[in-house]
Amino acid sequence: MKFFKKSDILIAAVLLIISLGVYLVYNSIYGQSETKAEIYYYSELVQTVELNAGEEEIFSVSQEPDVVFQISDDGEIAFIESDCPDKVCIKTGKLDTVGQYAACLPNGVVLKIVPVGERSEDDPDIVVGR
Amino acid sequence: MGVIETGKPIIKNLNKTQKMVLASLIFATALVLAVVESMLPPPPIPVPGVKFGLSNIAVMYALFFLGWKQAYAIALLKGIFVFATRGAIAGALSLAGGVLSITVMLLLMVLFRNKISYTGISIFGAVFHNVGQFTVIALLYVGMNIWAFLPILLVSGVVAGIVTSTLLRFVMPAFQRLV
Repeated sequence: MKFFKKSDILIAAVLLIISLGVYLVYNSIYGQSETKAEIYYYSELVQTVELNAGEEEIFSVSQEPDVVFQISDDGEIAFIESDCPDKVCIKTGKLDTVGQYAACLPNGVVLKIVPVGERSEDDPDIVVGR
Repeated sequence: MGVIETGKPIIKNLNKTQKMVLASLIFATALVLAVVESMLPPPPIPVPGVKFGLSNIAVMYALFFLGWKQAYAIALLKGIFVFATRGAIAGALSLAGGVLSITVMLLLMVLFRNKISYTGISIFGAVFHNVGQFTVIALLYVGMNIWAFLPILLVSGVVAGIVTSTLLRFVMPAFQRLV
């Protein structure tokens, strides 16, 4: 077996094209829709915030005051502060598209972007193990 | 199998004990690679949690040159190690990713034999490592949308696969000294 073959370029190219295609289709379906953010604390929905452009806001939920969220003026939400060791939640960055997701597992806080209004029965509940 | 471009068999006829010792040395290497990776700065991309999975180099070496049983054993041990050091969820993620990735790489090796390269196998291994991990995350946190994450899983898999197979090529001589 060889280390590298020309067919590898093809494999990589096909995978990259698939991912680009999925990204474009996904964005064209959900990219423009109105969104809100749901914040869960150990499986429980504790707060829902509308993501409106033009209003900057910094807040945290009462269950976990060490975790701070920021809504930026272009309607994106992000974790900006947390006392967890790895800061994965902060590194996730700004979210604004339906289905995007950020979680701070050490603190049990999950941030989820959902469409405004339509809360379909297909949306399963989030279950976070303690 | 067991032959690279030079045409020389890498693993000579080893007895059971030698194979076991070699597998445990490779497992130790996998752990060291994981530790080294955690000390490196994360890749400069805006997506969190994405890493090259350097310990996959060791797993791939085991799979390519030692045998599938040893590769699975290393993945299982690594899962247990992660479970002990970083908790149940991280352990489940590591195990699911490792087992699925080895299974896919093994299938490709059997199905395509000489038609596929180490890099090609490595790319698929990395992609399915991501898919395995994502599956567990999706089971734990219901409500995640796979389509939103698929592009990230695929792109990072392609990059990680190329990086690990390139590194394997350079690390190979060091591994061979273990024998």
